[in-house]
Amino acid sequence: MTTRLAVFRWKAVAPLLVFTVLGLAAWWLLADRLARRAAESVGTAMLGAKVEIDRLHIDLFGGKIEVRGLTAASPSESLKNLVHADELVADLDLLPLLEKKVIIDRLAANGLTFGTPRATSGIVPSSGPGATRQVAEHVGQWARSIDFPALQLATGKIAIGRVDPASLSTPREAKALAARADSSRAAWTAGLQGLDLGATVDSATALANRLRGARPTDLALLNQARRTIDQVKQARDRVAAFERGVTTGAAGLQAGVTALNEAKQRDYAFARSMLKLPALDAGDVGAALFGPVAMARFQRALYLVQLGRRYFPPGLLPHADPGPKRMRRAGTTVRFPREHALPGFLLRDAELSFRLDPTASQPKTYAGRLTGLTSDPAVYGRPTVFTASAPTLQAGGLFDHVRGTPLDTAGATMQGVSLPALALGALPLRLEPGRGTVTLGFALHGDTLRGRWGVRSDALRWVRDSGAGAGGGGGTPVQQLVERVLSGIGSLDLTAQLRGTIDHPSLAISSNLDRAVADRLRAVVGEEVAGAERKLRAQVDSSVDRETAPVRAQVTAVTGEVTARLAEQRGRLDQAQKTLEQRLRDVTRGIRLP
Amino acid sequence: MLLFKLLQSLVKALHSEGTPGQLAAGIALGSILGLTPLVNLHNAVVFAAIVLLNVSFPGAMLGWAVFVPVGFLLDPLFDRIGRVLLLETPALTPLWTTLANTPVVPLANFNNTVVLGSLVWALVFLYPVFLASRWGVRRYRDTVGAWIVRTRVYQAVKASSLYNMYRLFRP
Repeated sequence: MTTRLAVFRWKAVAPLLVFTVLGLAAWWLLADRLARRAAESVGTAMLGAKVEIDRLHIDLFGGKIEVRGLTAASPSESLKNLVHADELVADLDLLPLLEKKVIIDRLAANGLTFGTPRATSGIVPSSGPGATRQVAEHVGQWARSIDFPALQLATGKIAIGRVDPASLSTPREAKALAARADSSRAAWTAGLQGLDLGATVDSATALANRLRGARPTDLALLNQARRTIDQVKQARDRVAAFERGVTTGAAGLQAGVTALNEAKQRDYAFARSMLKLPALDAGDVGAALFGPVAMARFQRALYLVQLGRRYFPPGLLPHADPGPKRMRRAGTTVRFPREHALPGFLLRDAELSFRLDPTASQPKTYAGRLTGLTSDPAVYGRPTVFTASAPTLQAGGLFDHVRGTPLDTAGATMQGVSLPALALGALPLRLEPGRGTVTLGFALHGDTLRGRWGVRSDALRWVRDSGAGAGGGGGTPVQQLVERVLSGIGSLDLTAQLRGTIDHPSLAISSNLDRAVADRLRAVVGEEVAGAERKLRAQVDSSVDRETAPVRAQVTAVTGEVTARLAEQRGRLDQAQKTLEQRLRDVTRGIRLP
Repeated sequence: MLLFKLLQSLVKALHSEGTPGQLAAGIALGSILGLTPLVNLHNAVVFAAIVLLNVSFPGAMLGWAVFVPVGFLLDPLFDRIGRVLLLETPALTPLWTTLANTPVVPLANFNNTVVLGSLVWALVFLYPVFLASRWGVRRYRDTVGAWIVRTRVYQAVKASSLYNMYRLFRP
C-alpha cells in the first residue's frame, strides 16, 4: 500500500515569512546604498563620465527621494564637472514603480553649479560598444571633419615650393587636344575626298560646253543639263552638311583651346597651394585663432543632444540598451513603450536653483524650470522644455522628440558673468575676457545644424604662457607682430556660427581680433606674397606654354586649312552651277520647255 | 570550498528521505535558479515554490549548484534566444508590450535577453531535467547508495550542524 504525499509543506510557511521579513529588513537597511550605487552606475554609463552621489535616501512611504552632493563630471573636459547639485528632492509616484517606471511629479534641485573644477579626471573610457561610446565617437569624428587653417606663425616665412611639370594638368590636356586635332584633320580630309566634287564639277563644265551650240529642240541635251544642275545642287547640299560638321568640330577644338586656359588657371591655383602663406583672410585668421575653442562648445552641445536622442528617442518602437552589469552576461534590455501608458521615466516638473559664477564673492542664485523630461517622448506626447530668466540671464531649451523628426534647440545669454580664459592655439598667449556677455545658441532639427557662440567683453587681458617668457620677443617676426597687434586690443567681440548638416558642417568665425590681425599681416607680408606668387606663375608658364603653343597653332592650322578647302570647293560648285544655268537660259531663251 | 559544498549538497540530497520524484522535482526547480540570473522576481517565486511545495529542498540546492556553471556556459545561447524572442520576432512585440506595461511583471526583468532566454530554456527543459533526475536517483539508490551511507565521509556530513538545519526542510 502506498501513502499519498501532501503537495504543500505548510510548516515551511512560517520560515518563509521570517525569511521574507528578513529580506525586507535587509532591503530597508541597504536600499539607500544600493540605490545610490545603481544611480551612480547608470548615470556614469549614460553620460560617459563619472556620476557621484554623497548621500541618497529613499523614503518609500513618503514617496520621496533625497539626493545630496550629486556631481556629474564633464565627458569632454577631464578636470571639470558638467554639473554639481547640492540637493535634489524628488516626489515620487509609488504605483508606477510596480511597472519599473520612475515617475517624478516634482523635483526641487538646489545649489546647481556648472563647470566647477575637480581634482581627478571624470572621463570614463567606454569599453563595450555602448550607446555613449558610439555617440562620443560619432561626435568626435564630426568635430574632426572641420579643418581649421593653420596660422603659419611657426616659421613666419613664405616658402616657395618647386613646381613639378608632371603634376600640372595643362600639358596633359594639350597633348590630348593635339591628338584630337590630328584625328579631326584626318577625318576632314577623308570627308572632303568622299564628297567627290571634282567629277560633278567636271561633268557640269563639260555639259556647259556642249550647250554652246545646242538648239531649243534638243530636248535630250536640255534634260541632261537639268539633271546635272540637280546633281550640282545635291553636291552643294553635301558640302553644306559637311561644313556644318566641320564647324562643330572646329568649335570643339576651340573649346579645347579655351579649356587649356582654364587648366592653366587651375595650375596657377595648384602652384599657389604650394605657397606656405600666413593666413591673411580675416575669416581664416579667426578660424585659426578661435576655431578649436568654438568647436569645443558646439561639440559639447552636439554630444549632449545626441546622447539625449539616443536615450530619449522618438517613436514607439522598442529600444534596445545594454543590460545591467552583473556576473552573468549583461545581455540587452529592451524597452517596449506603449501609447497612452506611462513612460519608463518621467520628470513632470523640476524647479532648479543654480549659480553661474560660484567663485564670485557674492554669487547670484538663479531660478529655472524643467518640464516633461521623459525616456519615451512619443508616449508622453509633449516636448521637454527648459526655461530660466533673470535680469542678466535668459536661457531656454526645447527638446521635441515627439514626432519622427526630432528638434532640439537651446539658447542662453548671460551678461556680466566671469568668462573663462581662452587659449589661442597658435600663440603662447591666453586671452582672459574678464566679465562680459556670452551667448550660445544651438539647434539640431533632424540632422540640420544651427549654432551660434558669441563673446563680448571690454575688459580683455592678455596673459603670456609661463613657458613662453614674459614681455614677448620670442618667436618669428610674424608671430611677434601678431602678438603685438593682439596685445594692444582691449575688447573682444567674437561670433562663431555653425551651419550645414551633421555630415557637412561649416563653421564661420569673425572677431575684431582677427580683422586687426589680418589687416596688419596683409600690410606687412602682402608684397612678399605677391612676389612669391609671381615666381610660381612664371614656373607654371614656362612648363605650360612650351606644351600649349604648338597645339594652339595646330588647331588654328587644321581649322583654317579645312575651311579654306571647303570654300574653294564650294566656289567651284557655285561657278559650275551658275555657268550651266546661264547656258540653259541662253538655249531656251527664257521659255520654259517641258 | 565550493566543490565541498557541492559534494555536501549532492550527498545530502541523494540520501534524503524523499522519494526520487520529490528529489527530482527539487532538482528541476533548482535548475531554474541556476540557469537564470538570480536576482529576479521569477526566482523569488521559484524559491517560494521550493519552500512551500513538498519537494526536496536539498535537491533544489543541488539543482541550483549544478546548473549555475551551466547557466554561465550557456549565457551566449540564452542571449541569442532572448534576442530572437524580444527583437527579431515582431509577432511577439504586442505581447511584450502588454507585459512591460502590466504591474509587477516588469520586475521579473523579462525584457532582458539573457533573463528571457535562460528562463525559456529552463522552462523547456524543466520536465526533461525532472525525468532524468528521477531516473538517476533511482539508479543511484539501487546501486552505490547503500555503500556510501556506510562511509566515514557520509557519517561526518550527517553529524554536522548544517544537517540539523536542513532537516527542517527535508521532504
